[in-house]
Amino acid sequence: MIFRAVEDADLIRQATRGNVESFNLLVSRWEKRVYNYLLRITANREDALDLTQDAFLKAYQNLRKLDDPGRFAPWLYRIAHNEAYSMFRKRKPETDVEEIEPEATETKITVGGSSVFPIELSLAVASALDRLSTDQREAVVLKIYQGFKFEEMAEILSCPVSTVKSRLYTALELLKLELAPMKARGVS
Amino acid sequence: MSCSPFDLKDYFLQELPSSQRVKLEAHVKTCLTCREELERLQLTGAALFSLRDEEIPQRIAFVSDQIFEPSPLRRWLSGFWCSTARLGFASALMLSASIFFAAIRPGPIVDRPAVATVAAQQQIQQQIQQAVSNAVTEVEARQAEKTKQLVAYIEHQNVETLRSVRWMAGELDANRKRSQVRQMAMYVQPGESGEVK
Repeated sequence: MIFRAVEDADLIRQATRGNVESFNLLVSRWEKRVYNYLLRITANREDALDLTQDAFLKAYQNLRKLDDPGRFAPWLYRIAHNEAYSMFRKRKPETDVEEIEPEATETKITVGGSSVFPIELSLAVASALDRLSTDQREAVVLKIYQGFKFEEMAEILSCPVSTVKSRLYTALELLKLELAPMKARGVS
Repeated sequence: MSCSPFDLKDYFLQELPSSQRVKLEAHVKTCLTCREELERLQLTGAALFSLRDEEIPQRIAFVSDQIFEPSPLRRWLSGFWCSTARLGFASALMLSASIFFAAIRPGPIVDRPAVATVAAQQQIQQQIQQAVSNAVTEVEARQAEKTKQLVAYIEHQNVETLRSVRWMAGELDANRKRSQVRQMAMYVQPGESGEVK
């Protein structure tokens, strides 16, 4: 008997055959990452949780349309991205999505658990991320926190790689101006 | 402004291939400006990573509702129609099967021309024989008619010739008689007149 780890592709195959438990296992593998991605682009826990649930529900309903199980992660994040932007548009239909700012810094993301980093730095990071545009912040979250490649980011955001790089480089310049001196001063 | 041969941000974001990474690392060792820029990027990255992931406040799980759950057949059909690969494979399979059965089946389409050819050949042969016999009959009838006419003509000619011969024989006979009469008369005339010629 040969043992091997159950991969996402195995779970996707079983879930497409109607096995809900396999899909639940898939959800348990990805829910934290998707939740934190949505939390960082919405800056609101309730919204992030609702959007995460919606994204996974849509993923289950459309799982049979996923031809390549190896592309599950970009596909799932694409759904989550669409859900988030759909919510932005519903809340502020007259406003361009680019201009939508997340909630005020008083409700900003806080450090979870017992972090070895001081709270000041986390607050500064959250504040610096808040000052980025929605697109720039999402590019930073997808690259720095979620570790996607440029091509995968372009797929998730449905835009050219050059646009992804442009948003990310601009965001990095802004973040560098704010965060590098603070980190260099030894806040950590 | 960076003098690096490759983009320092690409290096920081781990988007450079290994060969370019090596070259850039070699350059950074010798270039103070690029080294400081890369350090700033790394400090920024370290600061960003100070923001840790949160635990999801409520675990997500789905239950199967038998009322809304589609039947296995509907699920299979839905999966079939949503998958271009499966549809393509099914189409190719059907095409292959139809080609295979068309190739191995002794179909009437294949035999029908052979039967039709034999029947047509027999019919053509009959038509040819009929036409030949008709032509022969016509020719024979025409020849018989011509022969009959020729025989009649010859008989007529024979009768004419015979009549001519008879007439000529009669004429000849009459001439001979006339000449004999004339000779007799010549011999008789001097005696009657008393003179001898």
